[in-house]
Amino acid sequence: MLARRELRPGFWLVFRREIDWLRRRPFLLAFVTIVPLALMALLTAIFSAGLATRLPIAVLDLDSSDLSRSIIRMVDATPDTAVAVRAGELAEGRGMILSGKVHGLLMLPQNLERDVFAGRRPEVVFFYNTQTLTIGNLTLRGVSAAVPTAAAGIRLSLRTAQGQPIEEAEAALSPIPVQTHALFNPTLNYVFFLLAAILPSLLQIVVVTASAYSVGIDVETRHRLRILRRLGGGLWPAMAGKVLPYTVVFLMVLGLSDAVLFGILELPLRGRGWLLDIAGLLFILSCQFLGVLLALLLKPTASAVSVGTLLTSPAFGFMGIGFPRLGMDAFAYGFGAILPGTWYLTARIDQTIRGTPLDLSWKPILVLLAFVVGFAGLVALRLESMRAHAARDAAGALPALKEALP
Amino acid sequence: MKKVLTVFRDEFRRIFALRPVFAVLIVGSAFYAVFYPQPYLNEALRDVPIAIVDGDGTSVSRELARRIDATSDIAVTLVLPDLVSAQREVYARKIFGILVIPKNFERDLLHGRASPIALYADASYFLVYQRVSGGVTAVARTVGAEVEAARLIGIGVDPVLANAASDPMQLTAVPLFNPQGGYATYVLPGAFVLLLQQILLMGVGLLGALPGPVPAENATDCPPPGPFATVAGKMLAYLLLEAVILPLYLLALPYFYGLPRLGGVVPILIFAVPFVLSVSGLGLVVAAIFKNPLSVQLVLAAIGWPFFFLAGFAWPTEVIPPAVHMASLLVPSTSAINGFTRLAQLGAPLADVRAEFLMLWGLALFYGGIVWILEVRRRRPDRRNVRIAVA
Repeated sequence: MLARRELRPGFWLVFRREIDWLRRRPFLLAFVTIVPLALMALLTAIFSAGLATRLPIAVLDLDSSDLSRSIIRMVDATPDTAVAVRAGELAEGRGMILSGKVHGLLMLPQNLERDVFAGRRPEVVFFYNTQTLTIGNLTLRGVSAAVPTAAAGIRLSLRTAQGQPIEEAEAALSPIPVQTHALFNPTLNYVFFLLAAILPSLLQIVVVTASAYSVGIDVETRHRLRILRRLGGGLWPAMAGKVLPYTVVFLMVLGLSDAVLFGILELPLRGRGWLLDIAGLLFILSCQFLGVLLALLLKPTASAVSVGTLLTSPAFGFMGIGFPRLGMDAFAYGFGAILPGTWYLTARIDQTIRGTPLDLSWKPILVLLAFVVGFAGLVALRLESMRAHAARDAAGALPALKEALP
Repeated sequence: MKKVLTVFRDEFRRIFALRPVFAVLIVGSAFYAVFYPQPYLNEALRDVPIAIVDGDGTSVSRELARRIDATSDIAVTLVLPDLVSAQREVYARKIFGILVIPKNFERDLLHGRASPIALYADASYFLVYQRVSGGVTAVARTVGAEVEAARLIGIGVDPVLANAASDPMQLTAVPLFNPQGGYATYVLPGAFVLLLQQILLMGVGLLGALPGPVPAENATDCPPPGPFATVAGKMLAYLLLEAVILPLYLLALPYFYGLPRLGGVVPILIFAVPFVLSVSGLGLVVAAIFKNPLSVQLVLAAIGWPFFFLAGFAWPTEVIPPAVHMASLLVPSTSAINGFTRLAQLGAPLADVRAEFLMLWGLALFYGGIVWILEVRRRRPDRRNVRIAVA
């Protein structure tokens, strides 16, 4: 009795077949589990420091005065920069930047101290490497925090020397101080900013290509699709049975990586967890159906996988994390809009660090839902048309066969 | 030598004969060259929208807002009555910063008291945060220095001394190599190297995994090429191919996209030789591990892109855990992105990238050696077959 019930066509039969099939293909199983997890572990290790501190810079001290030494001490004391080397001359410092030993060179000119107290406004020059933009800006942040602090001390003494009361002098140092608050990521932690966005982008590549591959193999032998449909007892149960085993696997991979992000790296969850889960599910489903659609439209499977790679592997740039979508031209903005990852990252940022109010959180989730419905609809349409084609071919072949037979 | 040339000719022909390989190496190269740089072409983020909550409403506070709006970094798009309504606009991603000018801003300033303003900048996108905080701070400092100098002059201090007292020691920051701080100039030189590696890895991986069309017709006359000739001939074929694609990516594309290049052509091409050899070697090793062309494609699709973050380009090498960094040196792009960027963008002489250059030669020998050993093994007569033949 039990065996018969198990063999009844329907969703579960296709689901079980797929799991059996996956068990017999260790490569595919590894590709959807071990490969993304290992890459995520690697990326997590890279960014584990969270903040880039004590970046090495060189100092060229031509003054060797109390003032220049105190500036060097202050630059070394900021969290961003560390004075790693003393350069003997400008060319030496330049060479150290070229060979990548240091990220910048601070030059303290001759007679610095004398000129400062004579009111001649000498220049302290900081050369920094902006070829590596973020790193260069970090070193600049360190130096431009330290040098004005040193200058402030001088200004204070210049004023009190002129007989100004100390409170008034202090207020005059910075007439319009800006109290800057970094909303949502006060420590400017790279784990919350970059790593939290890289991991889903990586999953997007794996999900799209793996889906194209697993379905492509079924498409390549024509009768396989018919068998699947018969096993499922209809189009929709067959599709669900084919797709959902992978959904479960990918959700587990996403869950594991999120467990590390939230549990160990302490990514805040200021929004709603359930909304994040819904977004994750819709993101994975939309990537899966995108992959399936590619497999149905492009033959052989290799082409489907190639196109999937072409679309998803440069996707990170289009999703607007490093360079925001705000600054992109129309093409890049538009392409970003048709990537599921763009909307998932928006939803993720909303629900993790931003804690966006509920009524403003729905847009990316509704877009993802539209993707799932749209891609799944297109998959169904394509399957129906392939079936109609096959039926017509068979109908055309039958009379021809009869004629050919004596 | 003749055998090397035979292998070279056959392999080179396979690049154009095998459809998937052609698609990756030729079509893929062309596609990425156009497609990949698109998000970065505007170079800089301009006119980031922010809101002003002006609790003061005086001519000085309006003047401050006007001067912030006039910078190329920031645009003041909204003037809102309170912080709460402004925060909602931030959540809705309509604006990316809120500048709060408190009541009595003008009065305090004119009375010589410190008159602080508060900036709330969206730090969920770092580039946005940098623009907004940098722009507002710079304007506030300039306006502040003007006010201070004006006040000192007002109480009878000599204008030169007044300026010196408000800014006794100027810090001049000189950005090198990418003076505009352009994002494309920053990211594309490294990304092009990564793309070259990714395309070549995929192409060579497929060439190694796909069964080829039957090679030369005279193959029956002479004995098959030895393992060394096979490896050398293939490498030669990949070198010739990259002699076209690599200058396109590292010289023509940067020129086309207007990226500055300080370095000469010759050092770049010299540095390219071990890069191409090591990537080709790695591609053949990947092919030997996964055997099936589809598996090669899938694995390389997934692992190719994260290599970018190993190179110390987006994230400084100094803070990557040392063990991870050591392991990352096994991937050619880690050394190659640093080497090529320094040669081309910084104009460093070859001597300054000696470590990277030697590392790439080491990788070329290492992966080439593995491929050679695999070839030797492949040629060893299969014992089972021999036994059957004897029986």
